[in-house]
Amino acid sequence: MKLSLVGSFLASLRPRSWGGFFIAALLTLPGFAVAAERVIVLDSAEAQLSLIDPVTRKVVDTLPTGKEPHHLMITPDRSSLIVANSVSNSLMFIDPRSGQLQRRLEGVDDPYQLGFSPDHRWFVTAALRLNRVDIYRYDGRNFTVSKRIPIGKTPSHLNFSSDGKLVFVTLQDSGELAAIDLATQTIAWRMPVGNAPAGLWMTPNDQYLLVGMTGEDNVAVVDWRKQKVVKRIPTGRGAHNFRGLNDGSHVAISNRVSNTISIIDYQTLTKTRDITGLLPGPDDMELTADRRFLWVTFRFARQVGVIDMSTYKLVDTIRVGRSPHGIYFANRAPLLGPNPD
Amino acid sequence: MIDLINTLQDGIAQLQTWLYVDVAQPLLFALGLMGYDEETYDALYWVIIGMLQIVVMYAVLRPLEALRPIEPWQDRKATRVDILYTWIAKLGVYNMLFFMLLQPWFDRLQSLMAIHGIPNIQLDGFWPGLSDHPLVSFLIYLVVLDVAGYWYHRWQHRFGVWWELHAVHHSQRQMSLWTDDRNHVLDTVIEAGFFAALSLFIGVEPGQYVVLVAVSNVLQSVQHVNARLPFGPVLERLLVSPSFHRRHHAIGYGHEGTRYGCNFGVLLPWWDMLFRTASWDTTPEPTGIRDQLPAPEGHLRDYGRGWWAQQFRAIPRIAMRMRTTLGGAR
Repeated sequence: MKLSLVGSFLASLRPRSWGGFFIAALLTLPGFAVAAERVIVLDSAEAQLSLIDPVTRKVVDTLPTGKEPHHLMITPDRSSLIVANSVSNSLMFIDPRSGQLQRRLEGVDDPYQLGFSPDHRWFVTAALRLNRVDIYRYDGRNFTVSKRIPIGKTPSHLNFSSDGKLVFVTLQDSGELAAIDLATQTIAWRMPVGNAPAGLWMTPNDQYLLVGMTGEDNVAVVDWRKQKVVKRIPTGRGAHNFRGLNDGSHVAISNRVSNTISIIDYQTLTKTRDITGLLPGPDDMELTADRRFLWVTFRFARQVGVIDMSTYKLVDTIRVGRSPHGIYFANRAPLLGPNPD
Repeated sequence: MIDLINTLQDGIAQLQTWLYVDVAQPLLFALGLMGYDEETYDALYWVIIGMLQIVVMYAVLRPLEALRPIEPWQDRKATRVDILYTWIAKLGVYNMLFFMLLQPWFDRLQSLMAIHGIPNIQLDGFWPGLSDHPLVSFLIYLVVLDVAGYWYHRWQHRFGVWWELHAVHHSQRQMSLWTDDRNHVLDTVIEAGFFAALSLFIGVEPGQYVVLVAVSNVLQSVQHVNARLPFGPVLERLLVSPSFHRRHHAIGYGHEGTRYGCNFGVLLPWWDMLFRTASWDTTPEPTGIRDQLPAPEGHLRDYGRGWWAQQFRAIPRIAMRMRTTLGGAR
């Protein structure tokens, strides 16, 4: 454990040093101690990330990031977690277990939201500030700009079709959902969807796209092939972001104004439950591998919460920095289909 | 001490959450403005900080003015209008408004630059891992904005029309902790626009910008205080002291309208030292504008007592300046 930390420390001191990397890599091989897992929480207003011990549920460290880190994404080979610094125009690659810095990549314009296409060929960013979606060619390590696509106002969340042909994006201030054809890298279509659309979640077999309506109190069910809203599921005010519950039928949606989390049955497209008694601004969520605990960032309360999914009660809160947003831990329940982190 | 800071931070956090969840967010939701959800929450923090600044300024600086005054005041009422200026300015209303208004234009520009392959300016990005550390980048921006502030201030004294706006600030003859924010609204708007534009151009993020403004505001309030606060020979050369800035306000010694000036520095006296406009003489002299003095020195010009009077009386002065300038051109 200590040796591993020393290696990581050396690597972080000299990120371009092969020696440092070698020692860090050696010390994390089986046989050597493996770095302790941390819950990684981005504090978007304080340019830092908090590392939480998942057992003691205490913040054990904070590390600097670039300006306004909002979202994070695991690389396809699971070797790195990407922290997207939207205002610094940079990506940070960190160890998905320990949160320690691996490398930086500058010159990625306003990466507010990010995602890899299911075939891993494309890396896509939603540049919320710049009203653009940027597509990068990805070869397993390097990112090469392929196309920058000006689009409607404030593109915020992304998702893909399972065949990797389309990337969907919500346009928060345009009240639209758009689809970009990744083969031609052009906008395939745009459709009105309601006030301030945010999170996107694809139901099995790519049947429907669920859209969290942050300016409303529902989740829009979109038949994306027909570009039509077929149903609205009342959830709570400020419906925002999703996390599949990995039980074959449910997905959670955070309601940022009602301060609740709704559980939706994606087979019947109905709400089955509200989790109440939460703190202000529930936002991003992550589910433990045993599906026992749902971790959630409370954007407007400077806290991260832990919800016991057997009782649907908030059982713990952890004080972090201002505006906690993206959350991740390695030992999590798998994601369903093309749905993003 | 750490406990005290933590308690204060907790208090601010609770106030921010309460104001947001119970006041601002329901309003945004009802008005269909949830697109401004996060920005409003973040901005509230700085509004609270602005309010705290005023409380701290009053609690610390006002007793000093009472106990260790540099000059006795003949007319206490003349200082009161400056309190109104302070409330408007310290809450960051102008600056936030400008940052918000300009942000979409600069974002558009940044996007066009990227599309056309023109490198984006991120001043704190020259040494990733060091220069973009929050504290380091904060100091870089502070120094860059301060040198711009020095020249901006010199231009306020250089150009006649601009000077007539800036004269509202200099027309306070009894400087106090409130005087810093006494400015013509047009001058404030131009200044906020200039610095917001510059900040966006060099890559300052909104959150950091408000901290820069907040730090600058506190230090400038200290500079105007009517209290003996000797900085000593070393600190005085690192930061603009009350005596250094009071010299700038001294009639004839610190400025003579558009004709002469010294000690233009905003936070750092370095630029005055570099460009040879520094005066280290700390002798207290009457402050104000020569024009305000009775004949034969001045014309007993009235710059107004109330907020509106001070704002409106600048207009005929500007008109006169323009007539003189245009007449001179013919």
